[in-house]
Amino acid sequence: MIDIESTVRILRRFTNATIIISISLLIINFVLLGIFVFKGTNTGQPPGSVVREVAESLHASNGIYSLAPAAEDILAKNHAWAMLIDSTGSVVWHYMAPAELPERYSLADVARFTRSYLMDYPVFVWEHSEGLVVVGYPRGSLAKYMQIYPTSWVSSLPLKLVSLIVINITLALLLSLFIGSRLIRSIRPLTQGIEDLAEDRAVYIEPKGILSNLAQSVNRASALLQQKNESLKKRDEARSNWIAVISHDIRTPLSMILGYASDLEENSAVPAEQRKQAGIIRQQAEKLRALVHDLNLVSMLEYEMQPVDKKPIRLSALARQIASDFLNQGLDERFQLEMEVLDEKALVSGDERLLTRAISNLIQNSINHNPDGCRIQLIISSDEGNKTCRFIVADDGKGVPPDQLSDLLELPYSNKRKHARKNGHGLGLPMVARIARAHQGCLHLYSDTGKGFKAEVVLPAIVSD
Amino acid sequence: MDDIKNRKILIVDDERDIRNMIDGFLRKEGFTRIYHASGCAEALSVCTSVKPDIAILDVMLPDGDGFALLSSLRQITNMPVLFLSARGEDEDRLLDLGLGADDYIVKPFLPRELILRLMAILRRVYSPPRQAQLSVFRLGKRVIDLEGSLVRHESAEYPLTAKEHALLLKLYENRNRIVTSDALCQAAWNDDYYGYENTLMVHIRRIREKIEDDPSSPEYLLTVRGLGYKLIVRE
Repeated sequence: MIDIESTVRILRRFTNATIIISISLLIINFVLLGIFVFKGTNTGQPPGSVVREVAESLHASNGIYSLAPAAEDILAKNHAWAMLIDSTGSVVWHYMAPAELPERYSLADVARFTRSYLMDYPVFVWEHSEGLVVVGYPRGSLAKYMQIYPTSWVSSLPLKLVSLIVINITLALLLSLFIGSRLIRSIRPLTQGIEDLAEDRAVYIEPKGILSNLAQSVNRASALLQQKNESLKKRDEARSNWIAVISHDIRTPLSMILGYASDLEENSAVPAEQRKQAGIIRQQAEKLRALVHDLNLVSMLEYEMQPVDKKPIRLSALARQIASDFLNQGLDERFQLEMEVLDEKALVSGDERLLTRAISNLIQNSINHNPDGCRIQLIISSDEGNKTCRFIVADDGKGVPPDQLSDLLELPYSNKRKHARKNGHGLGLPMVARIARAHQGCLHLYSDTGKGFKAEVVLPAIVSD
Repeated sequence: MDDIKNRKILIVDDERDIRNMIDGFLRKEGFTRIYHASGCAEALSVCTSVKPDIAILDVMLPDGDGFALLSSLRQITNMPVLFLSARGEDEDRLLDLGLGADDYIVKPFLPRELILRLMAILRRVYSPPRQAQLSVFRLGKRVIDLEGSLVRHESAEYPLTAKEHALLLKLYENRNRIVTSDALCQAAWNDDYYGYENTLMVHIRRIREKIEDDPSSPEYLLTVRGLGYKLIVRE
């Protein structure tokens, strides 16, 4: 669903774009029109100045008129002709005047051709001390218009121009709003559909309007996604069922092995040597039991089928309990377990058993990989900024090359692993990562050869006041 | 004791081998009246005919699960039940549902574990209730009497306060093991225990004054830095 905010945003962008486009079109049009008018009407000298120049350079001496050569050049260039009509209406001088023109003109004639044409020649007049200078242009070369405006119209012209522009802009705005909202209305089912796709819901959009192709594509994508989800789900279910069944079916024979082996081990009638061997069988069976249990837990976590029984847990208390458990179970003296609680109140919502398992795995990891002993630090801290708590288990032991760190989070035999695993069943760290994920947290690993190993479980904090 | 060995035990599991193995261990322990059932229906009919004193139930049965079976059993008998659970996640259901399961044990199990749990249930349910007796123990020259809530030393008696008693009891129950300060606070102040760490230190010092020769260098009630306390009891 497009919310109001994004609708407004889209519309605003749309209208802004429209306004910018129409204003720039307007400006471009004005400029082009101006250039066109200017260029088209100003080929050579304007007739008004030609006639004026001719009038000014026509001199009379003793009844003989002579035109200055410069003025003659101008006339010749314009293919124009000129004549002088005296106060009685007779032509007293002319230059290149067509022969068909009459010799005399009445006042009415003068008034007529001043306003329009003289025998279709566009003519222009200028007063002269001896009469009226008339300059004529070739027929059809110029169009003469009389423009007469009321003064009120002329004075309101700027206002009218401005309101014209305003009306234009308003119209453009309304038009763009109209088109924009129609567009949004036609896009809305599509965006809704795509949002549903992103949230993994089945989508069907009625394919209609200009975007029907797009709607069909979205429908196809949805169908494809649903199909893929379905088969993924089926595969996941099959896989986790398989593991559950396997681990269940292993339990019965394992119970028997464990039962009879430990019975033999404790049977005083059996020779010591055989009792020892029975003890080895029992130990191995117990290892197998732990492995089956871990495998089951990891796969349940992997397929999000492990119930997570959450309650508020204070990490510092959890850390003390786990550290005490390790010490109470007789932790070898080569290992020193140290606590550093930076935030006593760090509180998370978690499954106590799973979190205990995760932290114990990390500590056991440090113990397993450093048979010569090491110092293991448990650090609890919290980050108020992004509301997270950290449980850090760091040792100063042998460490791991950094390029192998990402491998450690992959399940053993996963094709994402670049290196074969070296020791342990390899489920420990993947289990921690998955437990962290089941708590909406994550596991970070830091290490380098000889520089110790640091595992950081980041969990969302419960913010207490 | 022999009274317990005389109890009738019903084993319900669909795997005959498992039943036989458990049967063997029980007989070795001295139990003789052992009955088998391979499913819910058979279990119910055995229950009505022989009225066993305790049942060992597998959670996964071919004709229904152990939880359903327990519900039907509860209609006819109140006998204690020990569950054999195949999966870790059953633990939650077993404990949360309040079905009245007395205990559970996760498969695969060690026979010793099974026998111990079974005996514990039988003793709890069928033995005449003994007077719950709190311990009396010796720390060096002193005698700590948790029942009387006092410390005896050279014919003098030093009473313990309620908090001191609760703390000493918790420490004694976990003697020679580290008890975290959180667990101690919880023992003395119950659920809402956060923020009592300093008070805890005061109480620990008072206990030391009563049980140690030199309270500032304790011999029996040791501080485990950063974690909690440990009561050393040599038996």
